[in-house]
Amino acid sequence: MTDQRRELVRRNCLEVLEGQAERLAPLRKGHVFITGGTGFMGTWLAELLTCLNDQYAFGMRVALLSRQAQSLRESAPHLAARKDVALVEKDARELAELPESTSWLIHAAASPDNRTHSSDPLETIDSIVGGTRAVMEAAARLPELKRVLNVGSGLSCGAQPLDWPGLPEHFAGHLDFSSAGACYAEAKRLAETLCAAFRNEHRMEIVTARPFAFLGPYQLLSRPWAVNNFVRDGLLGGPIRIQGDGETVRSYMYPSDMAFWLLRILVDGKNGGVYNVGSPDGIKLKDLAVKIADSFSKRPKIEFGVLKGGAPNTSRLVPDVSSARTALGLGLRTGLDTAIEYTLAWHRNAAPGKIASTI
Amino acid sequence: MTDKPRILISDPTLRDGSHAVAHKLSIKQICAYAAAADAAGIPVVEVGHGNGLGASSLQVGESAVSDEEMLTAARKNLKRSKLGIHVIPGFATINKDLSKAVDLGVDVFRIASHCTEADTTQRHISFVRERGKIAYGVLMMSHMAPNDVLLEECRKMESYGAEGVVLMDSAGFSVPSDVTERIGFLVDALSIPVGFHSHNNLGLAIANSIAAAQAGATILDGTARGFGAGAGNAQLEVLVAVLHRLGFETGIDLYKVLDAADLAEKEVLPALPAIKSISIVSGLAGVFSGFSKHVMRVSEEFKVDPRDVFFELGKRKVVAGQEDIIIEVADQLAASKRERS
Repeated sequence: MTDQRRELVRRNCLEVLEGQAERLAPLRKGHVFITGGTGFMGTWLAELLTCLNDQYAFGMRVALLSRQAQSLRESAPHLAARKDVALVEKDARELAELPESTSWLIHAAASPDNRTHSSDPLETIDSIVGGTRAVMEAAARLPELKRVLNVGSGLSCGAQPLDWPGLPEHFAGHLDFSSAGACYAEAKRLAETLCAAFRNEHRMEIVTARPFAFLGPYQLLSRPWAVNNFVRDGLLGGPIRIQGDGETVRSYMYPSDMAFWLLRILVDGKNGGVYNVGSPDGIKLKDLAVKIADSFSKRPKIEFGVLKGGAPNTSRLVPDVSSARTALGLGLRTGLDTAIEYTLAWHRNAAPGKIASTI
Repeated sequence: MTDKPRILISDPTLRDGSHAVAHKLSIKQICAYAAAADAAGIPVVEVGHGNGLGASSLQVGESAVSDEEMLTAARKNLKRSKLGIHVIPGFATINKDLSKAVDLGVDVFRIASHCTEADTTQRHISFVRERGKIAYGVLMMSHMAPNDVLLEECRKMESYGAEGVVLMDSAGFSVPSDVTERIGFLVDALSIPVGFHSHNNLGLAIANSIAAAQAGATILDGTARGFGAGAGNAQLEVLVAVLHRLGFETGIDLYKVLDAADLAEKEVLPALPAIKSISIVSGLAGVFSGFSKHVMRVSEEFKVDPRDVFFELGKRKVVAGQEDIIIEVADQLAASKRERS
């Protein structure tokens, strides 16, 4: 982890907190326990929470649970070395108890890597459903617990109609649950139902966030998603290759905004409520490729791959975030152009010899 | 632009053709054909051992020259065409083979597995994409799985980062109606391009390839004069001519691909591929064409009818990599023969 990377992330945290840190005041002196604590989401939450401690004297303790908790020493050693951050190495399914002082719980453990979902759908289902049940059972016994944030998935709503600008939380779209390919979205959907059952039986306060797509530091470019591919192709000198006709629409949120939104939903979301987390500004993949290519001083070429025969297979996945906007006063501080700029800076500032592993 | 989709032609003359010469292609042959294919504007030229990168061995046959020498020679002669390789995880490892192939300038990696084993391709496809190269998934012996299973396997490959999936009719078992149904089903269900690689055991390689194109496939394989394992593949120059006749675009210069095929016949092919009796039998039995030489050798050794061996192998649903079973089958047939006499 280079100084430039650390400074970039801290600057991003300061930018998102400027003038609105007090909106997270309920977290002061709290003990925040995060499952999936060393993943992309968990690491960003830890960055923002420690920034609140350093700059706004929030005095929180943070615990990060992960199957490979020690990996944080490699990916973010400055976090792993902090006294206010504890690492807990365990599979969420094996969690029998949580620290008694836990006041806030964020359940974010689950790999969004669709390669794993395809190769091992049974493990995907078991880790999400079994993990959620174990975590909620442990949470139900906590004496000081104020709130639980369950991290769901924007995919749980099924396919978005192409003529809908945004996918609202209440949309119950079609998911082909007879296909193993639905394992992640269905397991996330069942995890939400499990949370509802725990709220019902144990009177716990649980709120759900459904994340969509993100672009920024700590994201592995090895994940086979369009934006990662475009950034990686550009960093390797191009060409940036677009699959299909580039008409598919996605939207991308910068992770410092994501982390702030998640904490706001945790502290102020309506008990039992569900909130989409993502950017409402959709962009066609072919336009995204141009934006990314334009961000390089030596502009990489853009190439279209082999076109698919038959009917076009265009999709749209953009959240409707009006609930988060109106109920929680949330907005985006970092737009897509800046997100691309920061992301490229992050990858360019990898430690010498670390480029390959980062990519 | 026409309203017909453009077809990406991938030419494995210097890879599938290796099977036909016991993997003994020379550097001179590789250079000559690669240059001719490049001049014709063939988009992808596949090079290597018949079973792909890292496969040279006593078990499946040793190449005359190393992978590195073959790829280096081809790379020097390909200016416009992309250099492609066939990769079967197990034969090819990431650190020893794939990484070196990237460094040698390979552009297109076709990562293959048996049609029900796409899981084995995850790390290889991911590695290729991480290195910024083009990765296609390939499902071999595709006649052995029903359409819904093939779709699941294709979706796995898509999720790993494959930019297209190619079905191989490795045994030359299919007929056009099979291809139309299968390719059409996958094209409708997948968001990535679908391709088809045919073998000519039943004399249907061109017809099957055209059926695939008309069902929505946008990647087709063809080899000069049909040079390939068993009865050979779809004959490239015929395939290009027919595609043009039907209004498909390939970007290939017809005269120059005809020249490349003439050159291949003169410089590369020891004999023109023919649909020999044994190829018809292996096609009907649904057994990988690459087994032919092994079956003939073992049958002679055990004094059994190679046609019986093929049909028995077909009943046992053998796949590439299970060459050992040929001996077992021949031995059992010989034993039965002894008992009868």
